[in-house]
Amino acid sequence: MSTGQIHDLGYKRYVGSRRSVDTRWMVIMRHQLSTAWKGWWRFKAALIAALIATFATGTVMYFLRNELFRMLGAISGEIVRFSDGLLPFSLIWYCKIGFLVSLLVCSTVVAGDVQSGAFTFYFARSVRPRDYVLGKLAGLGILLSAIMVAGPVLLAGFRLGLADNLDQVVALLPTLPKALAIGALGTVIYAVVPLGFSALVSNPRYAMALWAAYDIVIGGIAEGIGHVGTSAKAVAAFDLPSALQAVAYDLFGMRIARGGITIPTWAAVTSIAVHAVLAIAVVIWRVRRAQQTGVGGAS
Amino acid sequence: MTDGATALIELDRLAKHYGPIVALAEVTTRVEGNVIGLLGPNGAGKSTLLKCLLGLLPYRGRARVLGLDAATQGAEIRDRVGYMPEQEAFLSGMSAVEQCTYAAELSGLPRTEAMQRAHAALYYAGLEEKRYQPIDGYSTGMKQRVKLAQALVHDPALLFLDEPTNGLDPRSRDEMLELIVELPVRRNCAIVLSTHLLPDVERVCDHAVIMHRGQLRFDGTIDELRGARGRDSELVVEVKAEAGRLADALTAAGATCRVTSPLALWVNLPPHATSRMVFEAARDTGLQIRALGVQRESVEAAFLRVIGEASPGSPGSPGLPGGPS
Repeated sequence: MSTGQIHDLGYKRYVGSRRSVDTRWMVIMRHQLSTAWKGWWRFKAALIAALIATFATGTVMYFLRNELFRMLGAISGEIVRFSDGLLPFSLIWYCKIGFLVSLLVCSTVVAGDVQSGAFTFYFARSVRPRDYVLGKLAGLGILLSAIMVAGPVLLAGFRLGLADNLDQVVALLPTLPKALAIGALGTVIYAVVPLGFSALVSNPRYAMALWAAYDIVIGGIAEGIGHVGTSAKAVAAFDLPSALQAVAYDLFGMRIARGGITIPTWAAVTSIAVHAVLAIAVVIWRVRRAQQTGVGGAS
Repeated sequence: MTDGATALIELDRLAKHYGPIVALAEVTTRVEGNVIGLLGPNGAGKSTLLKCLLGLLPYRGRARVLGLDAATQGAEIRDRVGYMPEQEAFLSGMSAVEQCTYAAELSGLPRTEAMQRAHAALYYAGLEEKRYQPIDGYSTGMKQRVKLAQALVHDPALLFLDEPTNGLDPRSRDEMLELIVELPVRRNCAIVLSTHLLPDVERVCDHAVIMHRGQLRFDGTIDELRGARGRDSELVVEVKAEAGRLADALTAAGATCRVTSPLALWVNLPPHATSRMVFEAARDTGLQIRALGVQRESVEAAFLRVIGEASPGSPGSPGLPGGPS
């Protein structure tokens, strides 16, 4: 610490150009990425788990490529092979890993910033609420897509590699954009929705608990109601992993052959979209409020 | 710092209402100076003024900072202005260097430049090797230094410092004030210091803006504030003996006196009188004057007078001549 003497490394007025205000969100995005990358348990462990899940699924896909996946069946009645059915089925694992990342990283973002006074830090600078929201969404989106998009797309690429001939490769090409679409939906679920939960309360621990309770308890109850009868199946779409799985089965033209419920695709997509829109709205509301009250103390 | 033509802050009928509550009541002023004290009791409108100046709140009237319109050029203003908040504003888990680099990048500086300036600002603030440690473990004094550094890091032309010495021990407070008073010279920036600690204002500010109930009550130099009555009319006189007798003579001549000890008295001269009156009274009574000094009003007393809450018991006010000066 200083002992009263002022230390000065010399000073020159900065005369260079400044980054455009419209690109400041990228700084926030990069900061979000680097924050999540710190330490092992926030993101790196989950990424390794996703890699293991992808490798394991790929291995099973290879060795059982011609076996029948009796748990899944095509609507047309044709029984699905493991090599085709494993990709949408593997979402179960990516969802679990994505949920862990969403819990440890996404669900505490806004609440953590409220608690630490970071909004004062942000909005005393030329950062606008939309820069903050965009930066955080982009950062979390990249993190989650490394799990939810990269895994399924890698598996889709591997499935192409297992094709017997060129005709089959061409026939299987749509698998890639389908995997991408499913991964993108999964990213929305685990990046955007928990961010919304993080904006609901000011304590990051409570925000984390709230998101966990919603995903596990409310999602579980919704899924349970879905089992009651045909008319209640749409309610199960409140369980976001089930909704994602439903969209995936629909895209890949499969249905659960035994036991499980089949959520209507419209209900699944609507549920994901409504969750995402509400989450973004909550974040924008919270951030705008923080901008007007943060700097200079509350008025 | 600005060129001569552009004022630091220009307000023209600036008004802000929160429903029926008037936070700023058509404030008009032109603020100049190197270190300006922004003073006012709680609820005076300082925070609202600050938010308006940073372009964070809509308002009526006109507000310009460094020649930029706060209503339409808020982002440009915030690039050229540094803000040191009163409350903690840290991102958890970051070191001081990381936080300051991030702050500079958010203000538009390229990464390499941001990093260099983060080190320079933290070094200036006196954090030296501690700058690599996480802020979460810092003492209050170190946190205040980080806040100062992150306000400085993007090379602002104007700094808003909100209670920068809050919670500091006397030594740290001295060091912080030393850093602040050197900033206009070393960093070529002007400072607006918002504080309740009037001795701090007295020590570092050359100008003062006093607000009360949303209205501007004073805007001028500290000397003007302290000598706002236009002359040095309050004196402290020390005599060799019998201060009471000199007080009687001066009272008979129209002055207001109070004997503070057998050898000293406080004198408030009548209008148009000068210190010559004291010497004449001493000559007439045969008393010897040992010392005569001007009892200047403290900033605290002047502040209380300006906001209309001065009382005879206020330190440094006429009712208490022995108060701090």
